[in-house]
Amino acid sequence: MNFKTARIMAVNLFLILALPLLISAQESQHQPDPTWQAPAEEAAKTNPLPDKTEAAAGGRKLFLRDCANCHGQDAHGTEDTEAPDLHLPAVQKQSDGALFWKISNGNVKRGMPAFSRTPEASRWQIVSYLRTLKAGSDSTNSEQPESRKPESQKNDPKK
Amino acid sequence: MRITLYLLAICILLVATAAAQESPYFVTYDHHLEEAGNLEIGISSTTGVPRTGERAFFAPYLELEYGAKGWWTTEFYLEGQSTRGDSTIFTGWRWENRFRPLAREHPINPVLYVEYENVNEATRIQKEIVGNAPPVGVPNSELQQEHAHEVEAKLILSSNIRDWNVSENFIVEKNLSGNEPFEFGYSLGVSRPLATMVSGKPCRLCRENFAAGVELYGGLGSSKGFGLHQTAHYFAPGISWQLSDNSWLRLSPGIGFTGDSNPLLLRFGYTYEIRGFGNKVKSLFRKKP
Repeated sequence: MNFKTARIMAVNLFLILALPLLISAQESQHQPDPTWQAPAEEAAKTNPLPDKTEAAAGGRKLFLRDCANCHGQDAHGTEDTEAPDLHLPAVQKQSDGALFWKISNGNVKRGMPAFSRTPEASRWQIVSYLRTLKAGSDSTNSEQPESRKPESQKNDPKK
Repeated sequence: MRITLYLLAICILLVATAAAQESPYFVTYDHHLEEAGNLEIGISSTTGVPRTGERAFFAPYLELEYGAKGWWTTEFYLEGQSTRGDSTIFTGWRWENRFRPLAREHPINPVLYVEYENVNEATRIQKEIVGNAPPVGVPNSELQQEHAHEVEAKLILSSNIRDWNVSENFIVEKNLSGNEPFEFGYSLGVSRPLATMVSGKPCRLCRENFAAGVELYGGLGSSKGFGLHQTAHYFAPGISWQLSDNSWLRLSPGIGFTGDSNPLLLRFGYTYEIRGFGNKVKSLFRKKP
């Protein structure tokens, strides 16, 4: 084996070993972060979009594109990411300004990206959509949503 | 000159009417890292309209970008080059890492960038322009023999001002292979989505799926001779188009405005994002109950 072949093999071996390391470096458990609180002046901001219904329709599209991967298509969170259920009272009781601040700043330590690249008006559209979850959800229902159940407990339509 | 003015006018028009999400930059980095667990696969190319005495080239490259953490993005490149009337060759690989030290959004958001490059002197992807302009008329067979093990560092400063992004990159590069000086470069970028509101209806060609911007990048000489003498500089308008929820097209014609620049560097890129890639791979190794 010449030096060039050995070097190529060493690089390949490094990449093969590095991939699982990088993947395992991700957060595996997600617990609520008590330090992730919007400043008072940010929390006091109100949603400037006048037509909330129209805004929420666009917000839903943005949610499905940018948020549903972690929070689930139905916003009930997903088992894999431990992202929170956005119907929960703990989320819905927060002000529009606080939700806007959290979407804008993210919480990179916990895997929530900052969506500051998304235009400001579009971020308010997501807030408008999140408010429609409050109206449509039954927060008193203690049954676990489908997307949060472990695979073994999900309803199988074939059964 | 007329083409330059025409492209400039288009660019100003696009930005002025501005009101998407993926940056249109090819050279400049902003502070937005890859989301943790996501894998982006990108195929891009740089096509160069030649200077006098030089041949046109086409330099494609493959990018694999992975969000290892919310504050750490790592990226691996494979690159090649084809010169008209000469040959098509593999020019090497790069491994870059970007770290975001501050968690929240700030008026100026710093990102630290470190890259190792194992390339040869025939590399033409021009992901960054540093030092002095390369010599012209040297065949690939000769350039391919000159290996470069380079370490590159960047300080990325990026701000979101309303819906505009303004980014500045300061670059230093050192070839570890030979007794070569430190080389310097810069890159500046301004961009904005073309629409700030999203309609509830599905659409592909509407303004909300586009972002436009301008980049300015070039070399600043080396530690042996810092400055603009014999350096290449480009003015590059760019546009990105979100084709689907997880794929983008980008295009940027870079116009060289010094004698040592290529008259035109045409950049094209397609990116496909696999969301939750890390979790998908982890689930393969997870024990089933």
